[in-house]
Amino acid sequence: MHSTLVRIQNVFGFFTTVAFCLAILVALSVVSFPQSPSASLQLRNVQVVKGRPHYYSTKREEYAHVKFDLDMDLTSFFNWNTKQVFVYVKASYPSSSPSDPPSQAIIWDAIIPGVAAPWHHNQYVPPSSKPSGGKKSKSKPPQQPLTTTPGLLKLDNQRPKYQITDASGQLAERANATLELGWNIQPWVGLLSWSNWGGLATVKEIDGGRTEPFDFPDVVGQVKKEELKTEVGGEGNRGKPA
Amino acid sequence: MADAVLEKARDLFEGQIVSTPPPGDGHAGLMAASQDFEGQRLAELITTVVLTLTGIAAFLVGYVTQDIYQTLRIGLGGTALTFLLVVPPWPFFNSHSVNWLPPRGSVAGFDIEVDGKKVS
Repeated sequence: MHSTLVRIQNVFGFFTTVAFCLAILVALSVVSFPQSPSASLQLRNVQVVKGRPHYYSTKREEYAHVKFDLDMDLTSFFNWNTKQVFVYVKASYPSSSPSDPPSQAIIWDAIIPGVAAPWHHNQYVPPSSKPSGGKKSKSKPPQQPLTTTPGLLKLDNQRPKYQITDASGQLAERANATLELGWNIQPWVGLLSWSNWGGLATVKEIDGGRTEPFDFPDVVGQVKKEELKTEVGGEGNRGKPA
Repeated sequence: MADAVLEKARDLFEGQIVSTPPPGDGHAGLMAASQDFEGQRLAELITTVVLTLTGIAAFLVGYVTQDIYQTLRIGLGGTALTFLLVVPPWPFFNSHSVNWLPPRGSVAGFDIEVDGKKVS
C-alpha cells in the first residue's frame, strides 16, 4: 500500500470480492420469499383456418386461432430481486404419430416488469391501461411502473399473439389439446427459474393454470378477417424507433 | 528546474505513504523519504473494514426496503468512499515514521573491499 497505484489496485480488488459476495447473497435471498402462484385459464374459442406461412408461399397449412380467458395472480413472484417475469400460454397437443412426444406451441406471451424495472417498449401493457384512442394515438409511454403490484392480470376473451400450426401442416380435428400457463422469472442477480423448475421448497406448484382438454375443430370455410386478428405485443415495435 | 517539477509530479502521482525527515537533518539527499509501515497497515485495514461493512449494509438496507437500487447505491457509494479514504496520501498515514539509525561516520570513511583490495 505504499503508492497510489498499489492502493487503487488493492481497493478495487477487494471491491470485486465484496461485489461478488453481495451478488451471491442477493441471489440466495430469493429463497426467503415463498411463492404461491395461482391462475385460472379457460379456453374461450378455437378456430382452424387454412393459410400460408408467408405471402409468397405456395404451401397451405392449417392454423389454429385460440382465444382464452386468463385470471392470474403471480404477485408472489415479485420481490426485490425480480426484474421481470415472462409469462406465456402454451398449447400442447399430441403429435400426428402416437410414438412422437406431444407438440407444444406458445400462443400468447407477455413481459411483466417488476416495480424497479425501467420502462421498455417491449413490456406488456395491460388492456385496461391502453390509451383509448387505439394504436394511432402516439401517447407518451408510461414512465412509471404500470401497477404497484405487478403480477395481477385478468384477460377476457384474449386474442392470441401467435397462430399455431403443426409441423405436418395438419391441425384440424386434433384431439386432446390443452392450454397451460408457463413463466420464467428473471431476477436482477441470480438464476432464471422456469415454471417447471421446482428446485426449491418455497416454490409451490401453481394452483390451476391449465385448461381442460379440448379438440381442435374442423377447418372453417368463411371467417371474417376481424375474427382472426392476433394481438400485437409491445415487441411488435421491434426494429422501429421507440 | 525541470527536474524539480518532474519530481513533484512523480510524487503526486505515486502518492507514497512515506514520512519525510525533518528539515535540517542533513541527510535529506540520502533518504529523502522513509516508508511508513504503520500507515500502510492502516490503509489496508480501512480498505477491508469499510468495504466489508458497505457490503453488509447494502444487503441489509436493500432487503429491508425491498429495493435493489438501494443495494446498488450503497454499494457503489461505499466503494467510492473507500477510494477517497485510502487512495490519496492523507497526512494521517504518515504519522508513524520509521526512525533510522544515524549514519556512522561519513561516506568517505567506509572501507569497501573487493577481492581483497581496497577500493576507495
